[in-house]
Amino acid sequence: MENARNYKLIFIYEIIISKNMYKLLKFKKPVASIFAITVMAGFMSLSSVFIVKAQTIDLLLKGGHLIDAKNKIDRKMDVAITAGKVFRVATDIPASSAKKVVDVSGLIVAPGLINMHTHVYAGSKAGFTEGTSSQLPDAFAPRAGITTVVDAGTSGWRTFPDFKAKIIDNSVTRVLAFLNIASGGYSVDKAEENIAEMDVQKTVETVKKYSDILVGVRIGRYYGTEWTPFDRASEASKLLNKPLFVECHLPMYSLEDQLNKMRSGDILTHAFENVSERMTVVDEQGKVRPFVMAAQKRGVLFDVGHGGGGFWFNQAVPAFKQGLWPNSFGTDEHRTSMNSGMKTMLNVMSKYLNMGMTMPEIIARGSWNAAKSIQREDLGHLTEGSVADIAVLSVSKGKFGFVDSGNNKIEGDKKLEAELTIRAGRIIWDLNGLAANAYK
Amino acid sequence: MRTQSVVFSKTFQEKFILLFKRMTTGFVLILIALGVHAQEIDILFKGGHVIDPKNNINSKMDVAIVADKIFRVAANIPASSSKKTIDISGLYLTPGLIDMHTHVFHGTDPNSMTANSYGGLQADAFSFRAGVTTVVDAGSSGWRNFPLFKSQSIDRAQTRVLAFLNVVGHGMLSRFDQQDVNDMNPQMNAYMLKRLYPNLIVGIKSAHFWGDFTSVDKAVESGKLANVPVIVDFGEHTPTNSIESLFMEHFRPGDIFTHTFSEINGGRESIVDEKSRKVKPFVFAAQKWGIIFDVGHGAGAFNFNQAIPAMKQGFMPNTISTDLYNLSMNAAMKDMTNVMSKFLAMGMGLQDVILRTTWNPAQIIQRPDLGHLSVGSEADIAIFNLKKGNFGYMDVRRTKISGTEKLEAELTLRAGRVVWDLNGISVPEWKMPAITN
Repeated sequence: MENARNYKLIFIYEIIISKNMYKLLKFKKPVASIFAITVMAGFMSLSSVFIVKAQTIDLLLKGGHLIDAKNKIDRKMDVAITAGKVFRVATDIPASSAKKVVDVSGLIVAPGLINMHTHVYAGSKAGFTEGTSSQLPDAFAPRAGITTVVDAGTSGWRTFPDFKAKIIDNSVTRVLAFLNIASGGYSVDKAEENIAEMDVQKTVETVKKYSDILVGVRIGRYYGTEWTPFDRASEASKLLNKPLFVECHLPMYSLEDQLNKMRSGDILTHAFENVSERMTVVDEQGKVRPFVMAAQKRGVLFDVGHGGGGFWFNQAVPAFKQGLWPNSFGTDEHRTSMNSGMKTMLNVMSKYLNMGMTMPEIIARGSWNAAKSIQREDLGHLTEGSVADIAVLSVSKGKFGFVDSGNNKIEGDKKLEAELTIRAGRIIWDLNGLAANAYK
Repeated sequence: MRTQSVVFSKTFQEKFILLFKRMTTGFVLILIALGVHAQEIDILFKGGHVIDPKNNINSKMDVAIVADKIFRVAANIPASSSKKTIDISGLYLTPGLIDMHTHVFHGTDPNSMTANSYGGLQADAFSFRAGVTTVVDAGSSGWRNFPLFKSQSIDRAQTRVLAFLNVVGHGMLSRFDQQDVNDMNPQMNAYMLKRLYPNLIVGIKSAHFWGDFTSVDKAVESGKLANVPVIVDFGEHTPTNSIESLFMEHFRPGDIFTHTFSEINGGRESIVDEKSRKVKPFVFAAQKWGIIFDVGHGAGAFNFNQAIPAMKQGFMPNTISTDLYNLSMNAAMKDMTNVMSKFLAMGMGLQDVILRTTWNPAQIIQRPDLGHLSVGSEADIAIFNLKKGNFGYMDVRRTKISGTEKLEAELTLRAGRVVWDLNGISVPEWKMPAITN
């Protein structure tokens, strides 16, 4: 920690920026009316030029290769940001119209990544709920191009308000969450398995009350044979018309029964795990089990949920080759996964890049597909007017290794790295000082 | 009975048996020694370039680990003698890094700076991926809350966490708590250090004080009682206090000045004159006298306008550290390897950088058991890839310099155990099994 003054300066700087944003927002209407008048006057061709020049761009990303799955863009495009929003996406937006221009040629410009499976209710208790097993979102997200993390049920209806007040409201990273059907969240003791506390009504009420943050209901960690916990979670998600997120530690439920109970749009995480607690998706002969393929066909979604034990090449590679693809690249971020074969979401994505998935397919699953699956279609794309959450990525070429949960590796020659991460128009990560001025 | 047996043992027969027993023991010992050579190395790092400044090693060497200790460092240790051999040719192997300035007392107090707060980070989330095996917390806790820090953070970390104890009993709670001179208790600080936690607490921190030299003097008084160094963040004095007076009149040789390359308008005097861009002469004298200059990069304390002229004029910091906390982690600092690479880009040699992140900090915190690869020492090891390319490095004002090299942690070992393996160099390759029908 150093000087208070510095921090105050940073703080004041940020206030100035946000004040300017408001000014610009207010300014939008007059500009729109001028635009309307201009159009009416019949100067259509001139007007668009006039608008771009008049409305100053805050930040222009120039020369990058844009991949935006929603808008089916996979080519060189400039992206202009104004007041925290995507202002314009086009080829050759003139640099003169921007306050700041960042040359991103040779780099990939993508919607800010969405990490579908994290545990971010960090605190000082043992375990996950307000615990040391969870990680602070800002400690791992910006440096991996992630602008949105989805917490996988680390809180329940009893603990969510505390999670929101302490972590969600204070993070630069956007934090969304699945609410655990267990009232306290993802504890590591028996409390999580108390059926009496799995209250459908309270769960539904909480998700409705915080519908801007809570994206679905999570079931995980139940060691009994009754289906009540699963059914209650499923019922709550049905009532809400939001996805059910099925996590791990449900050893008494067969995989087939779980999948049969899941509806189209529900998400199975740890898709490619190979642990004693759950049947694998790939059988002993190396074939994806037919009922798993059938579930995928029915619309059940598969999240990687890498974690410390949830990703095995002997599952993921045959599954990939046989058409069972993940819909999202959740990392299952927590204390023991972060330094294992998982490392970062970009490392997980790079595994698929080297397994043969194409870059547009990967970016889609890291952004738009993930956004759609949590019914947040405002995220995961760079449509004009949408929030300027952006990842600028580089692809390093070389000789790399990627490790799975069984401590086996595959080799590869490509690896993703986050150069620049932008959250609501603000740069929150700049690996090589792309947006910095040169020292003189 | 006793006398009888002694007499009896002196018979020829007994002597022969004794001799036989000794010979057998000796033979067994020889067998064990042979066994070690045959296959008793647990991990052998082969073909790497070893930089171990304490032992003056800067050359291609193999490093053998047995259990949690360094077993042997030599050229060409045969792979046949090892259970596991890892080819690290083209990579650098160094002692596990020591980050001497961090804040890792994480917790949930919303009104606290870095004591039991979100400002403090989990050591394991930043250490191993940057080759760091030891972090020193710089005064987040004081004698009142150190036990909580220990149970909550230190005991749950895989990283070795040591600490400077804040001169203030409450540590870095709020800015105001840190002004309380009545909570600066040298005797209690010394008790914590000498009686309770001599293996964890390595010195005393003074920081963020607005007044005169009281905070520094109380820290030095504590340091004298416990025979440990103090580390001082001299950053919030209005008007500024003289750093020459700090170095020459209040410090002892071995005491540490952190945020060395900070340049702020008011609050703290800089080591490089803002107009002439010359290092102030007393700074060289102070370093020569034994005052320690620590980088402590942080979110606001590293300025190229200080560091570059200083380096050009021959002034080098004694230790390179991050000042890791929530505001520095995503800014120009990023992590230990980024800060080290920044010094490479400013012209410091790789060996000098490694010295300042291993053996120098170990000596300064009086932990000569750390920061080197001497045989028998704990196997805390970092293996780096020195990437070539075009890289940018920023200071806290977001101005950048470019560099052609960047350190990346490939493999980190803590007490002989692999705790980070970026590219899986320590694990076998996966092969797709044939699908049987």
